[in-house]
Amino acid sequence: MASLRDDEFMEKIAKAVELSESDQVPARLRARLYSALVQQQAQTGPLMSLSETSARGHQLCVFEQLVRIVPVGERAKSLNICRVCHARVLAEHLDKPPIYWAGCPYVEFKKS
Amino acid sequence: MHRLEQPDFDQREKIGLSAAEDSELVTAVLRKDRKATAEFVARYADALYRYVRSRLAPRYDQVDDLVQEVFLTAWLSLNQYRGAGSLQAWVMGIARHKVEDYYRERLRAPESIEDADLDPDKSTSVPEIHRLVEQDQLKKNTQRVLAALPEQYRLVLLWRYWEKASAREMALKTGKTEKAIERLLARARAEFRERWNHGQSS
Repeated sequence: MASLRDDEFMEKIAKAVELSESDQVPARLRARLYSALVQQQAQTGPLMSLSETSARGHQLCVFEQLVRIVPVGERAKSLNICRVCHARVLAEHLDKPPIYWAGCPYVEFKKS
Repeated sequence: MHRLEQPDFDQREKIGLSAAEDSELVTAVLRKDRKATAEFVARYADALYRYVRSRLAPRYDQVDDLVQEVFLTAWLSLNQYRGAGSLQAWVMGIARHKVEDYYRERLRAPESIEDADLDPDKSTSVPEIHRLVEQDQLKKNTQRVLAALPEQYRLVLLWRYWEKASAREMALKTGKTEKAIERLLARARAEFRERWNHGQSS
């Protein structure tokens, strides 16, 4: 009997209380999630080349733009160049990283 | 049917996303379009984070890793997404499984909690709860009591009452007997109620 009452009590509490939280994901976690995903994508083969990415209408950051226009093969343009960018490092460790240029996903994460 | 967070799981209509947009994003992410991947993270990170955080509280140190695991699993299984429901619902489904895995792993550990003395005469005037406490206070009390419980008690209650798993399911997933789960649940409920009553009276 007692456990039935306890069970009913818990059912009512659970029904009445949503435990969801209103917190927004910290910008540095967004940055880490993105880095981890792209890193995993890169491990299984080349990323979409920067030429194609640009042709699809996406804005590239200044560093990506540079790689896109230099006369190197598409393979080099399909590397995960964020891996060697200081913007990534800053964004993964700071919620308000001092990075500002357009087209960089890490800058966008800081805004959202 | 999982009630908690469920209203937020299918947000396609709410945020104006069409099945075509979901499908377009999936295709682009599968093609390793890095900008689409960034959008994928931006679109679902908040909902996933809130859900995982609410289910692991107060063990917030585990939240980041689990959210990352959800994203990586989503990427690895993305080619299985058929568009039957919204992409958000699909991603949240993965999150639910990850949370269940977490509960299962934690509950599989040998029980370190002493059997509580259950007093069969203890009772709480349940039907009065809504009238006695405002909704906000109710939530705070619930979070406070859950956070103060030993981990095994907290997880088993979250799994049973907020994730709506049956004792049988929990037993199957943890490798314990149904009876053992029922006993754990009984102790967890009693402890919850005792702390709840204590909080009400203090």
